[in-house]
Amino acid sequence: MGFASGPIPKATAVRRILALGGHEFSSRPPDRAVCELLLRLAGEGGAERPRICILPTASGDTSDQIASFYSAFGERHCEPSDVSLFRLGRRPLELRDHLLEQDLIYVGGGSMVNLLAVWEAHDIASILSLAWRQGIVLAGQSAGAMCWFEAGITKSSGRPLAAAGLGLLEGSLCVHYNNEPERRAAYLDAVGDGMPSGYGLDDYAGLLWEGEGTPSALTARRGARAYRVSRREGQVAESPLPARFLPAPAPAALREDIAEFRRIKTMRRRAGWLG
Amino acid sequence: MKTAERQIVAFGGGGFSMESGNPLLDDYVLGLTGAERPRVCFLPSASGDADHYIVRFYRAFSAHRCEPSHISLFRREQGPGDLRRHLLSQDLIYVGGGSVVSLLGVWRAHGIDSILREAWESGVVLCGLSAGSLCWFAEAVSGFHGEPKRLRGLGLLPFSNCVHYERGSGRGEAYHRFLREGMRGGYAAEDGAALHFTGEELSRVVASRPQARGYRLDVAGSRVVEMQIATTYLGDREAVPAAPLPEALSTAPAA
Repeated sequence: MGFASGPIPKATAVRRILALGGHEFSSRPPDRAVCELLLRLAGEGGAERPRICILPTASGDTSDQIASFYSAFGERHCEPSDVSLFRLGRRPLELRDHLLEQDLIYVGGGSMVNLLAVWEAHDIASILSLAWRQGIVLAGQSAGAMCWFEAGITKSSGRPLAAAGLGLLEGSLCVHYNNEPERRAAYLDAVGDGMPSGYGLDDYAGLLWEGEGTPSALTARRGARAYRVSRREGQVAESPLPARFLPAPAPAALREDIAEFRRIKTMRRRAGWLG
Repeated sequence: MKTAERQIVAFGGGGFSMESGNPLLDDYVLGLTGAERPRVCFLPSASGDADHYIVRFYRAFSAHRCEPSHISLFRREQGPGDLRRHLLSQDLIYVGGGSVVSLLGVWRAHGIDSILREAWESGVVLCGLSAGSLCWFAEAVSGFHGEPKRLRGLGLLPFSNCVHYERGSGRGEAYHRFLREGMRGGYAAEDGAALHFTGEELSRVVASRPQARGYRLDVAGSRVVEMQIATTYLGDREAVPAAPLPEALSTAPAA
């Protein structure tokens, strides 16, 4: 233990955050592209088997979210783990040590208000901020993307409302930009009313901050866009950002035992038909 | 019909969450409402609103004996829009187990903490087990994750509380230590035992298992005094409806 990812030079660590407008951990091409990007970012620290930890807090630590994360990363060249704050009772864990030895921390979607409230109760925010400064990649989608900003638009209370985030990144973020017109409308109103300017992200669009300066926009699905949303002279303007397309990798080869099982099943079925 | 009496029933553990097939504690809290078909709202917040837990609640509190509902704070787009109105219209609010730290964080974020105080003051019976017991007290011993920890609850009851107070669980030792370190006096309950408070006074201890007990803990100087409290076993048909409290309990709490 402890040798897999040696400490990278902390003083000069590049602070990286990947904010995603919305995706799943499915085997569909754009979801595979997102997983590939997460793996690549996690591996940039030089770890042979990068450690990737999901914080499914915003969902209430649902089994669905945790299981889909493991199904995406379980067979990949990495060490996946989860920190389920609602289930720590069954699996005690040194939270701080565990989080700080990751290469990438991924935050799942759900209720942004509950996410921040539970993190505050468990004192997670300061650990994440330290992780970021030490060069651990922070990533997430939906609530797990907006949480890094000063503010976001959440439907945690039913209808879309502004909510404060951790503020590691300046400005604001609105997710599911293409899919949820009422969320986008609430965001444009909020920015018009004085919420700090920021970004809108369609599902499968992302923004990657690496070090200081402006983020680069990425897209895992044709047509998915990232927008800069800002207030100028009393007007709120949306301008699409040029984005780099992330191609989906080929589907992972079937594990040999699963492939064997399927071959036998097919043979049996054929035998049945013949008989 | 609600009485104006403030009532809290704090289970050390038990009810449908832990005692499948033994409805004694759940029947007891339903009976306290005095309603023919009590309105019962389940708050599964401490579990992260786990689906399987919500399903088990609806099975235990089936519609033929009450009007069950639940509030998922992780899925506010479903369920009652006006949390306050919904909670204040209940006869019984039942809080599930899980992480008390997460529970209190989420409640604060949605303003549930102040609504529950209001509900209590207006006569809605409050109950719960484990995290759903600890939350009502000023201070609590949480053993949910790793070493037992000392934390603050909502403070409706001005005591400390420790749940799952079984021998050998390590909680007793931790509770005694916290008391010596200045934690206010309070109550502990074993699995199957429930502390029934009327106002801020303990009125009785009831149990769904013959051997389950509640305890009163106080600090005298540098010494912790632990007293077993006379407990009414609810499965005993000859049970005295209101067990008298031992005299020692009528003294004011130490803290």
